[in-house]
Amino acid sequence: MKKKSKFELIYLTLVMIVLYFPIFYLIYFSFSSGDSMSYFESFTFDHYQALLNDPRLIRIVLDTILLALLASLFATMIGTLGALYIHQVKKKSVRNSLLSLNNILLVSPDVIIGASFLILFTFAGFSLGFYSVLLSHIAFCVPIVVLMILPKLKEINPTLIDAAYDLGASKYKVLSAIILPLITPGILSGFFMALTYSLDDFAVTFFLTGQGFTTLSVEIFSRARRGISLEINALSTLMFLFSLLLVIGYYFLSRYNQNRKINNQKKKVTK
Amino acid sequence: MATIIEMKNVSKRYDDGFEALTNLNLKIESGKFYSILGPSGSGKTTVLRIIAGFSDITSGALYFDNQNITDMPANQRKVNTVFQDYALFPHLNVFDNIAFGLKLKKRPKEEIKEKVANALEKVRLPQHSDREISELSGGQKQRIAIARAIVNEPKVLLLDESLSALDKKLRKDMQYQLRRLQKDLGITFVFVTHDQEEALALSDEIFIMNEGKIIQNGTATDIYDEPVNRFVAEFIGESNIVDGVMKVDYSVEFVGKTFECADAGMQQNEPVHVVLRPEDLDITLVDEGKLTVTIVSQMFLGNHFEVNAVDEDGNQWLIHATNSVSVGQKVGVYFDPEDIHVMRIGESQVDFHNRIEEYGE
Repeated sequence: MKKKSKFELIYLTLVMIVLYFPIFYLIYFSFSSGDSMSYFESFTFDHYQALLNDPRLIRIVLDTILLALLASLFATMIGTLGALYIHQVKKKSVRNSLLSLNNILLVSPDVIIGASFLILFTFAGFSLGFYSVLLSHIAFCVPIVVLMILPKLKEINPTLIDAAYDLGASKYKVLSAIILPLITPGILSGFFMALTYSLDDFAVTFFLTGQGFTTLSVEIFSRARRGISLEINALSTLMFLFSLLLVIGYYFLSRYNQNRKINNQKKKVTK
Repeated sequence: MATIIEMKNVSKRYDDGFEALTNLNLKIESGKFYSILGPSGSGKTTVLRIIAGFSDITSGALYFDNQNITDMPANQRKVNTVFQDYALFPHLNVFDNIAFGLKLKKRPKEEIKEKVANALEKVRLPQHSDREISELSGGQKQRIAIARAIVNEPKVLLLDESLSALDKKLRKDMQYQLRRLQKDLGITFVFVTHDQEEALALSDEIFIMNEGKIIQNGTATDIYDEPVNRFVAEFIGESNIVDGVMKVDYSVEFVGKTFECADAGMQQNEPVHVVLRPEDLDITLVDEGKLTVTIVSQMFLGNHFEVNAVDEDGNQWLIHATNSVSVGQKVGVYFDPEDIHVMRIGESQVDFHNRIEEYGE
């Protein structure tokens, strides 16, 4: 057992290094005073300073966050209703085809989704900008939300629904008092998945930004194309730290919830 | 007593063509404890789901308090159900589970509090109001499920195999509690079970079901003493069933001998099934017995010995004896004429009752 875990440890470390090395390389050079990543000159916060003095970039960051929040919010609402609908379809063949249609959207390449939206919007005379990107983000986030919620719906014991009707609940009450509370974890994880998908989407967004509006990933791409600026390294570092904070926050939140439950039980036992 | 639930010619066919119930007629009076007893797949749970309103019926009609409720949705019916898997809402605590129905009816808060406390008192769990469902044991969940149902003051309480998930000791305890609760509340209980002992112990009246039909109904002793056919005799309690021939009224021949019996009203020389309950057979000396058997095996079951024996013609006999016997010993078996129960082959319950009426018991 011990020997095996040693091998596992080495393997795990290797994988982690391969995965995280590029990011740490990037972070390392964000503190270099030079202009390129060929060698480290001296430690400086200059690039971070430049970032803060770039109002265009800050606007883009805020736009991106707003876009992601709105897109995942709408996608969660539409996806929840969609999952509820798919779940209640009785005919297996119909349910499976609906589910497949949902999954196709998920696995089809972003480029194709982006291109098709571009064709649709230009055909319909819809001007490209914030709203076109928002609509496309909602579209590709809905299937994710559906997939996160469906298993939770399947988990619900059907006799719980019977019991609710038995106690006099209307259809609406069964939904609001029983089904929605039970699938809330699925709705939340669907929301967060949609949020991350929307935040880091590049391909679809690239097709649909048009002029005047851009998101962070598209901006970084276009700046990187013009030549590496270490400002991007600084920005990437901040984003990395931000997502790290999110993960840690999520961890402590779930720990807190668990502890509260355990404490409640302990309290009752001692009482 | 007044009839509270009546099913008239109810049939239920599923989409795949399976007929769960066939022309079922059933009457339930208010204030009694009923059991619907049958093997799995007999349609007993379907009957319950139809009364509760979770299943629709293919043909026939369902009456509640003389009102046709065939098409009334489940949430408007004045019955409540205790489910086999309890179906307690896992995201609500005990109080909110029990208060669920009352909150839907928008009762004032004080009243809800009082009624929930009352219901918890009735199931003897008064301290458990703010527990989470996940903290409860199986037996406690069971009782909370009952409290959640009775707090709505239904006229009929339906219980679906409600004790089958509990261990034997807890089950016995819950049986007493159920009986006490039914007496306390004075409402009708309809209890679905496949456990014949449970049904016999609890019920004022039992419906025996098989293959979507009611085979026999009556009080526990009626059904035990006068099973209408071989299925009931085998399903309810243990029995010795042998083929026989009805010679004339009050005289039946089986295992090559003719015996005096208490049954009549059949044709001469009609082939019949003869039932002898193991506890009605007494072991005596060979000269005093009506049959002579050889003991094959015996098992001590605490309150009696279960003896397996075989007669000269090779028929097996199951005997409940109070005293130990030795294996291989030849003994006599004695029974009274009233202990012989003769069943006509293929006789329905209606015909059976008519015959009994005519000839007395």
